[in-house]
Order: sequence, then structure tokens, then C-alpha cells
Amino acid sequence: MTDNPLLLGALATPLIGAILALLSARSNRRQRAIGVAAGLIAWIFAAGLLAQVHEFGVQTYALGSWQPPYGIVLVADALGALFAFMVTTIMVAGLLYTYHCHDKCMTYPTFVPLFLLMEVGLVGAMLTGDLFTLFISMELMVLASVSLTAISDDQFGLEAALKYILISSMGTLFLLLGIAAMYATFGTLNMAEIAQTLLTGERPFLAPAAALMLLCAFLLKSAVFPFHFWQPDFHTTAPTPISAMLSSIVVKVGVYGIFRLVTLLFIEEAFLLERLLGVLGVIGIVFGSLGALRTYNAKRMLAYSTFAQIGFILVGIGWGGTLALVGAIVYAFNHAFIKSALLMLMGVVASYTKIKTADFVHVRGLGTKLPPLLSWLVLLGGLALAGVPPLNGFISKLALIQGGVDNGDWVNLIIVVAAGILTLMYMIRAWQQIFQQAPLPSTTETKPVGDSMAAPLLLIAICLLLGTVFAEPLLQLISETVRQMMDPQIYIAGVGLSNGS
Amino acid sequence: MIEFMFALAIGILFGIGVFQLLRRDLIKAAIGFAILFSAINLFFVAAGAFEGEFAPYLSNVQAGRSVSDPLVQAFILTAIVVSFGSFSLLLGIVNIISQRYDTVDSNDVTQLKH
Repeated sequence: MTDNPLLLGALATPLIGAILALLSARSNRRQRAIGVAAGLIAWIFAAGLLAQVHEFGVQTYALGSWQPPYGIVLVADALGALFAFMVTTIMVAGLLYTYHCHDKCMTYPTFVPLFLLMEVGLVGAMLTGDLFTLFISMELMVLASVSLTAISDDQFGLEAALKYILISSMGTLFLLLGIAAMYATFGTLNMAEIAQTLLTGERPFLAPAAALMLLCAFLLKSAVFPFHFWQPDFHTTAPTPISAMLSSIVVKVGVYGIFRLVTLLFIEEAFLLERLLGVLGVIGIVFGSLGALRTYNAKRMLAYSTFAQIGFILVGIGWGGTLALVGAIVYAFNHAFIKSALLMLMGVVASYTKIKTADFVHVRGLGTKLPPLLSWLVLLGGLALAGVPPLNGFISKLALIQGGVDNGDWVNLIIVVAAGILTLMYMIRAWQQIFQQAPLPSTTETKPVGDSMAAPLLLIAICLLLGTVFAEPLLQLISETVRQMMDPQIYIAGVGLSNGS
Repeated sequence: MIEFMFALAIGILFGIGVFQLLRRDLIKAAIGFAILFSAINLFFVAAGAFEGEFAPYLSNVQAGRSVSDPLVQAFILTAIVVSFGSFSLLLGIVNIISQRYDTVDSNDVTQLKH
């Protein structure tokens, strides 16, 4: 087993970037430049890793040369590499947005370091091979995002941060409890070794309880139905680039954990878990879409929409089977790009208002004073979210519906299609309110300059490319990923346990 | 006997922690969080503490005798650091809340409700 330095690079670059940014705290401009540079380098590492994983199979890096199962091992299999690539790509856009943002909180010396630490947590959660490092990464991500929301320009940010840290700490505690139960039963936390033990059909006493605790922690991180109530507040009040990250990739950490639970660890019980996830997903779709229809704030609408979109992914996982899993992963991948682009666009719109808010009463009719490109971008993003053909949202809907047809679950299929129409309704409604209607007296005053549109423009361009030129390669890549996920032996053999017990 | 007492202690700490975490007073909730974290750390220690006969130093391992699991203690040290970090962040947020809202009663911290 050879160590692949790309894994360490993807994880260490943002960490080093965070330290460098802290050291250059005197110059805010230099900090932001360091942030963009670190994000770009991490992206190069992750892209190289994705290419290598598909060329040569599972890549590993044993930290400090302590061989698994004793040491901490970083593992990139097809799923982990794909998610790490997605995270680093969106992070580059987020850091790019920070570069030209006029929020007051961006000038705080800890903003960029915390942003980069969030990336460390995200990439670490995707690339780790043992559960305890997963816990550490998730906690790092939570603490960074809580701090970033607490310093938000929005006056309610602090309250939302308090709400989230109380709930999320509870979730993290149960994650740790589940991990302790795992350790008590299996004597190891290396995922490959646990998977190997579980594959033999052995079911220790505490294992089902541990699985449920892990599942609850992941559902809480993804804001799925019984644990969702903190999400709209938290995602609305965060600073624009942060809320774009929270709503697109931070919720995907939970989805990633669920993928690992049902395809690597608890394969025999996966059927039961999938049933549960399917039901929770449908609840999320219905109430998320309805909630998005009746909100008063454009960013809050998108936060509710995330609640619904995670529901689509869970329904895909719930259907099970190869095609449905392909649909779920394509959906998760594309949604990250669409949602981060849309949240950044709404942030740009909000940045033109006097008090920086995305409330419809304040942004209604604002579009007449904004650059016309913004209107087109919001419309394109909305169509992508609803799944209209030339954009990547269509590909993900198509892949998901294929999985449903393959499964023959017509009830849920109808709900999925109908919710797509609801998505179109709320997105078009928001677009009309901002760009088509006559301005209210409350919106007459605007700032002359808002945030730069470069980052959302980049993301929408990626959405267009993913929906047209790269649609076929993406589907092939993800089909190959699912083929490798369905065979846990590939992961276990790839980690290469040294003692084989 | 010690194992039973240990389990009982973990259970009691867990109960106190959950009860405190659900209090209206935010400072009590924060302390409940710390207690709950200690309970889970103790649970983690219990997973490996009662197995071996010797402390895991390389020098005093005798042939045929078992040593206790050193890994859990490494895990706990990390978990304590993590819990310390989140506890202090939580207290910091509660501190600013108390200044901005003039209360630490969570029933009065409700500006997000529209």
C-alpha cells in the first residue's frame, strides 16, 4: 500500500491557508487573496485525486505512517473523491465571492481563516477512513459555521447560531455516543474493518443501536424532517458566501454519511433504513416545497428549498438499487452547484438594498435598477433548480425518475414530479417579484454598488456545462462510482488492512 | 462491582445532562452540555478500561498478561479538546446573547419568530 500525497494535500492546503491567513491578519486584502489561492490549490489536489481514483482505484494515505487499522488513514474511494471534488469546487466559488463582497463581517480578521477551517472539516469528513476522524471533522465544520453565522451582518445571526449550536452539539454528542458504541462492539473505528466484520454476518449486541445513533446524527446535519427546524433560520441569517456553502455542501456531509451507512457498513439492514429514509424524504419534499412557496424572504425560500431537495436525494436512496443510487448522487452533485449559485445571486440582490436584506418587501421591483445579467442568471438558476432541460437540474431529475421507474414506486414518483412543478412555481414567483414587478416605496433607495457577480456567474456556467456538454461524462462517472459502491470489497481491499483481522 | 458503579455513574450523569440541556436558562443548558459530554467520554473510557491487567506502557508488558486498551484514552483526550472548544464557543455566544437581549431565558430570545 502506497501513500498518495494528493490526499494529504487536499486536506492540508486549506489548513495551511487558514494559518497563513491568521498570520496576515493585518491586511484584509491579502487574507482574501490567500483564501482564494488556498481554495484553488485544494481544488487542484481534489481534481487530481478524482482522476487518480478512477484510473488506479482506491487511494489511501496513512497519517504518520501508522498503518491501518491502528493509525488514522485517509481514504479516497470513488464516492469520497467525487464528494471532495464537489466540495472544493464550490469552496473556490465561495472564496471568490468573499473576495469582492462588501459585508462588514468579511473585514473581520478571523473570517477567512474560519472559512478555510470549514473547508478542512468538509474535506476531512469526505476523505477520512475512520469514524473518529469523521466526528472531529464534523465538529470542526460545525464550530466554524456557527462562528461565521454568529458574526453575520444580519442582526438575527447570533440567535440562529445559538439555536444551531445547541441542536448540533446534541447531534454531535449522539454521533460520539454511536462511535463509542461502535468501538465497544468492534474494537476498532476503521470503517473498512467494521465493514469487514459486518460482512461476515456477525451482528454484535450494540451494533443496531450504534447504527441508529449515527443515522440520527447524519439526518440532523442534513436537516431532514424531524431535525430540520433550525435550518431555515440558520441558512437565512448566515453571511451570503457562508449560507451558499451551508445550503449546498455542508448539508451534503450528512448525505455522504448516509451513503456510507447503507452501502458500506450496514448493507443487510439497508433495506429497513432505506424505507425510513424514503418516508422522511417525501415529508421533506412536500413540506419544504410548500414552505418555500409561502415565505417572505428570498434567502429563506432557498433554505426551505434545500429542505425539499435533500428530500429528493433521500427518496433516491430510499428506492435503493443501482439506478436510484445513481439518481441520488447525480442529484446531490448538481444541487450543490445550483443552490450555491442561487444563494449567491440572492446575496448580490440583497447587497443592493439599503439595510441588506432579501425580504420580498424590500427587494420587490429592485430588478429595474440592477444589471440585466443578474436577472438572467437568477432565471437560469431557478430553471435549473426546477429541472428544465438545458441545465443540469434536468439531468438530475431525469436520473432520479429513471431510478423510480426502475423501482416501480409510482406514488413517490408522482410526488417527485409534482414537487418539481412546485419548485418552478416558487422560483418563478421570486424572480417575478424581484425583476418584473413595479418597485414598492420601500425599495426606492438602493446602494450604487453591490457584490460582484463573478462567483455565481461561474457556478451558473458550470451548471450549463454540466447540463449539456458534460452531462454524459458526469452520468458515466457516477455510474462507475455506484458500481464501486455496490461492492464494499473494493473499499475494504483498497484500504489494505495490515493484519487482516 | 466497579463496573456496575461506573455504569450507574454514567447513567446518572447522562440523566442530569439531558435534564439541564433542556432547561430554559441558557447557561444551565450550556453546563448540561458539558455534563453530557463528560458522560459520553466516560462511556467511551468504559469501552476499553476494564479489559486488561496493566497500564499500556511498553516496558512493563509481561508475556501472557494483557494490557488495557490505550486507544480509548487517546480518543478521549481528543474528544475532551473538542468538547472544550464547543463549550467555550457556546458560552461565548450565550454571553453576547445576554448582553444584546438582556436575558438568558431562552423563552425571551425569540426575535427570529415573525
